[in-house]
Amino acid sequence: MDDTALEVQELLKVYESRRRPPVRAVDGMSFSVRRGEIFGLLGPNGAGKTTLLKIVTTLLRPTSGRARVLGFDVVAQPLEVRRRISVVVQESAAEMFLTVRDNLLTFARFHGLRGPEAGRRAEAVMERFRLTPEAARKVQDLSGGYRRRVQVAKMFMVDTPLMFLDEFSTGMDPILKRAVLGYLREEAARGRTIVLTTQVLSEAEELCDDILIMNRGREVARGDLHALKLLHRGLYEVAMTFEQLPVSIETELGRLHPVRMSIDQNTVEVALKADEARVLELVSELARKGHVLKVEVSGASLEDIFIELMKEGEAPRL
Amino acid sequence: MAAITAVLYREGKIRFTNLIWMFFDLFYPLIYFLLFGVMMNYTFGSPLATLGVDYTSFFLAGVLGMAGFGIATNTAWGFFSDRDNGIFYEMLTYPMSRAQFLVGKVLFNVLLAVLQAVITVGLGALWLRVPVRLELLPLLLAGVVVGMVGWFFFFAIFALRMRRNDAFNTVVNLFYFVFLFASSVFYPLELLPAWFRTAARLNPLTWHVDLLRFSSIGLGDPLHILVEAAAFVVFSLAAFAYGVRCLQRQE
Repeated sequence: MDDTALEVQELLKVYESRRRPPVRAVDGMSFSVRRGEIFGLLGPNGAGKTTLLKIVTTLLRPTSGRARVLGFDVVAQPLEVRRRISVVVQESAAEMFLTVRDNLLTFARFHGLRGPEAGRRAEAVMERFRLTPEAARKVQDLSGGYRRRVQVAKMFMVDTPLMFLDEFSTGMDPILKRAVLGYLREEAARGRTIVLTTQVLSEAEELCDDILIMNRGREVARGDLHALKLLHRGLYEVAMTFEQLPVSIETELGRLHPVRMSIDQNTVEVALKADEARVLELVSELARKGHVLKVEVSGASLEDIFIELMKEGEAPRL
Repeated sequence: MAAITAVLYREGKIRFTNLIWMFFDLFYPLIYFLLFGVMMNYTFGSPLATLGVDYTSFFLAGVLGMAGFGIATNTAWGFFSDRDNGIFYEMLTYPMSRAQFLVGKVLFNVLLAVLQAVITVGLGALWLRVPVRLELLPLLLAGVVVGMVGWFFFFAIFALRMRRNDAFNTVVNLFYFVFLFASSVFYPLELLPAWFRTAARLNPLTWHVDLLRFSSIGLGDPLHILVEAAAFVVFSLAAFAYGVRCLQRQE
């Protein structure tokens, strides 16, 4: 059996407009995703993530190139593709005029699940997502966070082999978000492939086996977290906690041209682009400015890598 | 077929678990019939004696036309709301074709319109003594079905094309008002000024209601009704073609 869940080849989507110049939202992307993998699409606003997701979920036709989901072409065989996917779109899409329970049952019915089995599943999913007390309430009467919860909960009503989640955690409380990350890992362990887009980098760092960073419709970097960190080996995070924050520390740090800098009470966090020896030298220089309680030097986080990559981004092509 | 029944299930759940939808789909036109129609009859006696019918009988077809028209505007509002909150786009990723989605929606609207017509005609015939022509009932059924399809696609165009909620509501309300009052829904056009008569004759709701009136109580010139029915079918086909095009272009 082919190991590929999603295959994208030279995909191009150009938005034409009479009043504005054309926009290459997806600009010749090629990549593939293996079955059972959690694949993260990262990028700033307007990078083309949602457009790409819309194409592979059959919502949008590409200008050129091709995309295949579990071997089925998204343009030529959209119905076969739709039978194998479930999708959380970016908006908090839920059936406003239906109750929470009916939202789950209706979604299941569209995917061919009905009767007592659908009912049992709905109860289990509501329990998991702490929606049972709201089961009989119409979604239009719920808060935005709950609506999002209903929307994501629906994905667990069916066993489609491929799941697409566009910014799924927006509006979720941190406790539920943590739980959902766990559920998604369980689903991947059961063999479901998950493709998600996010701007919450810690989420991708924690969840994704494979990450593709895109900007202006193009691939900027690709690989697992380890590989991405190797791309920016010269990037280090330094965290220092002083007994008393040295007076001129902010100016001193500014001179080092950090990628990122934050000061919170007596703790200073900086991301620096330099070789290892130079970073240690800088740390000892800073340590001489005050009494240091704690020092931590680590490789760059995904957030630092992301910021770096976006800075290096190419100029627009059109 | 499973996809179409899923659409019917969804629409049924939405419409029949919500009293407001039910009121506007099924009972709002009936209230018009019972209050406005009957009271007009009481107030003015039988002002339509020249036509050989009383006002209640005359108004029956108006109520049926208004019902189909109203169901279509309610559906369009639901359509717009679905698109606005994103569920519409999520639904387009469900295992069904866009054609199945539309067929399911239209079918549900047709079933609702037929149910509404059965209630209205039954009530009119049994309680208000409207002289319903039983032999013309198949034609009446066809009129209700074709009317529902035409109005569904007509209003779906606005729901699919317009982006702003306020603009959509304004346009739909404007259409509702103009189409309803510049038509033969409430009054026979023969008694009205020439300019108004001309305007009303160009109104597809007039074509629809005249067909319903002929097929319910036999009122109207068959040849004239045939022309109007043909015009309404053309209107429905044009609305269908453009409505489908709008749906296909949804991205």
